[in-house]
Amino acid sequence: MTAIHLENLVKRFGAFTALKTMDLEIRDGEFMALLGPSGCGKSTTMNMIAGMEGPSEGRILFDGRDMNGVAMGRRGVGFVFQNYAIFTHMNVYDNLAYGLRVRGLPDAEIDSRVKKIADFLQLTPLLKQPSAKLSVNILQRLAIGRSAIVEPAIFLLDEPLSNVDAAFRAVMRTELKHLQRQFRQTMVYVTHDQLEAMTMADRIAVMDHGVLQQVGTPLEVYNNPVNLFVAGFIGSPGMNLLRGSLADSDRGLVVDLGELGLTAPLSPEVAAAARAHAGREVVYGFRPERVSLSVTGEGVPMPVTFVERIGARTIAHLGTGAQRVKAVFDNDVTAESGTTVSVAVEPASVRLFDAATGIAIREA
Amino acid sequence: MTSLATPEKMPMADAALKDGAAAADDGRRLGFALTMPAQVLVLFIAVFPLLMQLYISLTDWSPLDGIGWWQAYELWNGFANYTDLMADTRFWSALGRTALVMLICVPAEFLLGLGLAILFMDDFVGKRVFYSIMLVPMMVVPAVAGYMFFMLFQSGGPVNDILSGVTGMNVSIAWLSDPTTALIAVMIADIWQWTPLMFLILLAGLVGVPEDQVRAATLLGASWWQRFRTIVLPKMKTIIIIALAIRVIENFKIFDTLYIMTGGGPGVATETISVYIYKVTQQDLIWGYVAAIALVILISLSILVSLAISRMNKKKEA
Repeated sequence: MTAIHLENLVKRFGAFTALKTMDLEIRDGEFMALLGPSGCGKSTTMNMIAGMEGPSEGRILFDGRDMNGVAMGRRGVGFVFQNYAIFTHMNVYDNLAYGLRVRGLPDAEIDSRVKKIADFLQLTPLLKQPSAKLSVNILQRLAIGRSAIVEPAIFLLDEPLSNVDAAFRAVMRTELKHLQRQFRQTMVYVTHDQLEAMTMADRIAVMDHGVLQQVGTPLEVYNNPVNLFVAGFIGSPGMNLLRGSLADSDRGLVVDLGELGLTAPLSPEVAAAARAHAGREVVYGFRPERVSLSVTGEGVPMPVTFVERIGARTIAHLGTGAQRVKAVFDNDVTAESGTTVSVAVEPASVRLFDAATGIAIREA
Repeated sequence: MTSLATPEKMPMADAALKDGAAAADDGRRLGFALTMPAQVLVLFIAVFPLLMQLYISLTDWSPLDGIGWWQAYELWNGFANYTDLMADTRFWSALGRTALVMLICVPAEFLLGLGLAILFMDDFVGKRVFYSIMLVPMMVVPAVAGYMFFMLFQSGGPVNDILSGVTGMNVSIAWLSDPTTALIAVMIADIWQWTPLMFLILLAGLVGVPEDQVRAATLLGASWWQRFRTIVLPKMKTIIIIALAIRVIENFKIFDTLYIMTGGGPGVATETISVYIYKVTQQDLIWGYVAAIALVILISLSILVSLAISRMNKKKEA
């Protein structure tokens, strides 16, 4: 039950800067996902919160208390490792009791607390089992239980689902989210899998190259990416991004996409924000799910290069040269490769980015 | 099989079956023939000497008798060698001395080796160089090590010089001439030579301890000592058993360094079981008796080591 505040956090390894000036407020009881591709600095951030590594600059505050110089065993941090790091030479009971035993608590209290948490996590029938041969979802529960029993203020989870096969991941995600609701603990979850972050987290911190890109709820991050990186990274496939320039037409402000022609007029909100950028290079972004195709209707005509049909969804690949677009549909579409179709984008879903800086153009 | 392959209906199958059986039999015979040389070799290396030893130990045979060992039955004396052995005080005190050396040297080597291995888990300047230096004693020929320590422990030797320098007094201990100090000197030489082996084995064990489990223990609030006792040591158990077993067996046979330093002396003050056997073999030439001693030691050491290992394994499972 602790709020975490990262203040101007910097981490350098020799000449390499793993984390550049990170500021992040994680609220009490919040499930925060640190999301980004490998090497983005998310694990470094987590290790610094846990105290495994010290920051080169900046401070980490737990409820306002500076944690610099506080040993990792004294921070009250529960850590769930990527491979769970279960003590394989002990049985389930001894794993759960470990944190209490090293604190020198009386046996009777240890026993009652172990039984309580085992009951809670449905591990009671397994208490006497050696932990080396447990299945992965039991291991996950055991790892969480082992950390939870010492009542840590904060839970840190380092890609706990990356060793699990895809089919089982959905089960584990549900279980993990369920556990977090019951413990009501502040949780920081490191992952490179946006599906995990989107489904479980209260808020997501998107990171890239040691820089915090955006913090927000899953839908905020999905709907209003602050820059091109977040737009392209979140979503599967990511946001369509076409280069162009703002142009006035008789129907209002549009984007000139070069050889693809002009887009439909921008919505009043987008247009209002874009006014200040008139004549500048912009990136025209929209979600692949917010597109409709027609043979002769409204929209930008684009050649179809390839159509992927994967049962539940159909993905159409469109465009020429560097201006490429994907469109995703819940059911089959009649488009065939080699033909040209009109691509109409829902006006409300259009997002503009400054081509030079990559930053989203929004109303101030 | 026979119910399926009735002779009337499927004579071919039956014939094939018979052929197959014959082929399998041939294969077995061929396999036996091919492994024969190796089996004979094993027989001669391991089993034959043991049986020969048992045979000689039941006789009063000596090479001075002028008959071959196979004719030793002419000097048959049953279990007399074994009953003599029971009453042989020199044998028993040699055995006791060997046990004493083992009980001091092996734990000392273990603790020193473990301590050094723990230090070598951290990074420090010159680690590689120190690592190479650490292993040098193990590579020194034991006879050479014997001469080295023989010279170091002379009354005018470097050990006394250093002690004089440190204490400021004129130390001139005749290390190898005094029964107590001679034993100490011999043990120091053994510890010097064999700590590196312990170090090497235990370092390998330490490296194999899963780092994330140690970290997990740290995050759960365990102190260094708690982590060491509850995570590191249990994970190293197998390798510790191996290291101790190797050194117990080897130390029990301590001979070359010791023999060159003291020759078992002064008197019998450093006479271990190997030195005693050597003396009986080379000086007294009563080989029937030697065979009996050797056999008793072999059997008791085997029992001791296997008991120790199985007990430690049981503890591990519990």
